[in-house]
Amino acid sequence: MLVHRSTKRGAFAVAIAAVAALAVSALPAQAFSPRSETGVTSSTIKLGITVPLTGAAAPGYNKVPFGMKAYFDYVNDNGGVNGRKIQLVIKDDQYSPILAKSVTNDLILKDKVFALVGTLGTANNEATTKFVNDKGVPRLFVNTGFSGFANTKKYPTTYPLFPSYFMEAKAIGGYLADKFAGKKVALIYQDDDFGIDALAGFTQAGTTFVAKIPYASGSQADPTVVGKWITGIVASGADTAVVFGVSTATAAALGGAYKAGLAGKIQWILGSVGADPTTIKTLVPAALPLLNGAIAASFLPAAGDTNDEYVKQFQEINAKYNKGVTFDTNVLVGMNAGMLTVQALRAAGSNLTRAKLMAALSTSGSKFASAGFAPLGWSKTSHVGYNGYWFGRLAADGSQTPVDGAGKYVLYTTDSSTGAVVKSAITRPAMPAKGLPTN
Amino acid sequence: MNTQIKWTKRIAVVGAIALSSFVINLAPTAAQAAPACAVGPVTSCQGLTSDGAPYVMQVPGNFNGTAFLYSHGYRYNVALPALGYPAVLNTPQPGPVVGSDTSVIKYLLSHGYAVFGSGFARQGWNADSGVATDVELISTFKTQFPKTTHVVAWGESLGGFMTQVLAEKHPELISAAAPLCMATSQVEAELTMAGDFLWGLKTFFDPSIQGGNYKNGTESLQDLGRVVALLTELKSSIATGVWPSKTPAAVKTMLGAIPPRSALLLVGLMAGLPTQSAHFDGSTGPGSPNSSAYTNFALAGSPALAILENGASAAVLAVLATADVELQAGGTIFDNTKTDYAARVESEKAVFSSGLSGATATAGMLAYLAAAPRVSADPVSVAKMRALASYKGVINVPTITMVGVADPITPAGASQWLANQYADQYAAAKAAAMKAKVKRPVNALTSIWGVTPNHYSKFDATGAPDTSGAAANGTNHCNFTVKQFIGVADMLASAATTGVLPNPQTIKTTVRRMGGSIVDAKFEPALPKFYQQD
Repeated sequence: MLVHRSTKRGAFAVAIAAVAALAVSALPAQAFSPRSETGVTSSTIKLGITVPLTGAAAPGYNKVPFGMKAYFDYVNDNGGVNGRKIQLVIKDDQYSPILAKSVTNDLILKDKVFALVGTLGTANNEATTKFVNDKGVPRLFVNTGFSGFANTKKYPTTYPLFPSYFMEAKAIGGYLADKFAGKKVALIYQDDDFGIDALAGFTQAGTTFVAKIPYASGSQADPTVVGKWITGIVASGADTAVVFGVSTATAAALGGAYKAGLAGKIQWILGSVGADPTTIKTLVPAALPLLNGAIAASFLPAAGDTNDEYVKQFQEINAKYNKGVTFDTNVLVGMNAGMLTVQALRAAGSNLTRAKLMAALSTSGSKFASAGFAPLGWSKTSHVGYNGYWFGRLAADGSQTPVDGAGKYVLYTTDSSTGAVVKSAITRPAMPAKGLPTN
Repeated sequence: MNTQIKWTKRIAVVGAIALSSFVINLAPTAAQAAPACAVGPVTSCQGLTSDGAPYVMQVPGNFNGTAFLYSHGYRYNVALPALGYPAVLNTPQPGPVVGSDTSVIKYLLSHGYAVFGSGFARQGWNADSGVATDVELISTFKTQFPKTTHVVAWGESLGGFMTQVLAEKHPELISAAAPLCMATSQVEAELTMAGDFLWGLKTFFDPSIQGGNYKNGTESLQDLGRVVALLTELKSSIATGVWPSKTPAAVKTMLGAIPPRSALLLVGLMAGLPTQSAHFDGSTGPGSPNSSAYTNFALAGSPALAILENGASAAVLAVLATADVELQAGGTIFDNTKTDYAARVESEKAVFSSGLSGATATAGMLAYLAAAPRVSADPVSVAKMRALASYKGVINVPTITMVGVADPITPAGASQWLANQYADQYAAAKAAAMKAKVKRPVNALTSIWGVTPNHYSKFDATGAPDTSGAAANGTNHCNFTVKQFIGVADMLASAATTGVLPNPQTIKTTVRRMGGSIVDAKFEPALPKFYQQD
């Protein structure tokens, strides 16, 4: 009897093992990950982004997430990332830090995203930092150049992409000293960490201004405030003006200057995040005569440069996956961040975790292909992204061409400290075939 | 910026704090005597505890053995006829009342639960005597109704504070607890918030405001009048940009170019007041979201108006509770001689840069505050204040907290502080169990947060803010719905009988059905400023 019972038990165990083997063989590889990661299933990866889709800062910036989504859709149609499709949850924060906190909470708690990518605005990212840090949510390629975000102790999960505003101000300061020596330069800047970062860079570069005009973020929507900017510029006797703010501030400044009869009397120099010509043209058509001839710093190629392999590929993707939307710097920014995200996800491997994603950026992120001309600095000890700019002159049609180097891009690189601004060779990795990373 | 507000309630009325009364029409009896009961489908008893606190007990015919002890919130210990409170109230309250709606009490009775509670022997900051009253009342109830098997303690605001103190000191008396919209673990933290706010108002807007060191009740009431007058004036100041009439000349000289709304916002931030209020969400403006009016209001006006609305709620309590605790402690108890207000707002000044009119303006205001005369406390009085009842954050019985994330009087961070303390306790208990190779303890605390909608500010056809509607969910003090109270009550009753909280999925489902609330360990409101200084 004992033998008989033992045999039955043995047969039962074999049967269970066979069923288990069948079940196991049907499971995708991802099912064997040690634990399921938030926002990751066997077939999807959920990412989140907060941007101003409406509100004063929305024009232009509201195209960033859809450029990114178009790129993800393109990748998804070509097999996704390790068999998973990327879902992008887009939230409108109206450029309001309070709303940014609220919708970021929603992304993390309700939508349960795996990571944030491309969240926009210095103050908005600062507003959400504690929650993002506490929860260990990777925050990739923030759409801000505040140098503080590269502080790995304060922002351990944040990976900036833009060169810092500190670097940009140093580069502009050096450019002013080189090309505009003896000119009377005025500065309009956003009076928060965005602009303060730039002020520090200008100080480092030794730039002197005949007038420094701060404005509180959002106040560019008030015509009275803009009127004071123009009065300040005129009173200072400036013949050159630097605008270090968002595109809506640039548009307001140019529009106000045009109204005040300053067309042709001021050389305008624009910070990178406030220099998207299509946005400025759309917001203030009257600003067009002043936009024509303005000089702007950029870290990505000109959006209209179809000779650039990245721009060309992204334009093709935009035409198919972002139908009806004009390709511009904002779309380019979104797609570029999207392509870097795909490479980071691929580098993190099939058993995707937040820790692996951040580790992948630290170990191999600096080798990723991207449209930026400057090298990427991510490493185990640094979260600094790009570190350089080129200068271009804007035309009335919104096109931008390099101002020096006989029409070729000339890259100026530096750091967010005391390092010099130096002309650097462009050693950008080639665009992956069809814009699909294979790293 | 159009900020002409349609204030449908006087600031004074907004200042009411948990004063909802549930009138029991029974004559009080002699202290300590057995309660006088009227037997019926619901047996109603009333009496006085040994310290003279009137109480009421209501027990249904189908009493199931579980009784809910309710501790009411702070009631003013002075009559305020001008503000609509003609007398000091000690009316006993056996359960939560939403407005005049007693549905929660009716629900409990209809489900076989008994309810009881007192009006306490004294009003004001009365936690020590209040807990003693609760302890005695539980004994009296059990004697009167021997069928009692479990007592559940719950309460709101100061009553939530007492509930936690009771649960820490006398876990043998209760089976579950719910400190709702609970006051901070010690009165000093609440009065630091009050003191910082009053000092900020005094420094920027009206030097005649005392903010403390009250010699008598008359002084405090006169000060209250000054504070209410200032807040009333600030309403128009926010709209016009003109500093209030009693603004010090030095402020006008140094900071006159900055709109007064920015100074008010800074005062609110350094005190730790929420930047969302009953009618101002801090992110919505009038008209199209793409209009300049919308952006201006959302970024610059709304946070300041939220501070004003919340400040109006908190100001009455700030003055009167300060006066009351000073009376109990013997002298000045607020001290900001060492407070670094710049550090206080370090993490917020960038976030509210628009409302604060930019970094340059913020630096100017902080510099002015840094140089302004400070307030010194009397050390003996501070020691006496610190000897008043407090809780340490120890969880002895299954406990549920609930608070709105923008509660202007008992900040959500007070409940988060409790959760943080318990997290340490729970981790240590788990480690000890592992070491001893015994069963791991189960989690005994869940935190429910009343959350605000993303957008809820309303505007009329002219673009002026409309404050005529009900306060948004998650705002105002102890602003809960009947559904939220009942959801908590159901979970408490279950915990009382089983000895453990319902399982996480049941809690989630219950909270979802309550509406306007979340339960998520990942959600952590900021701690009150007092604790951030630690």
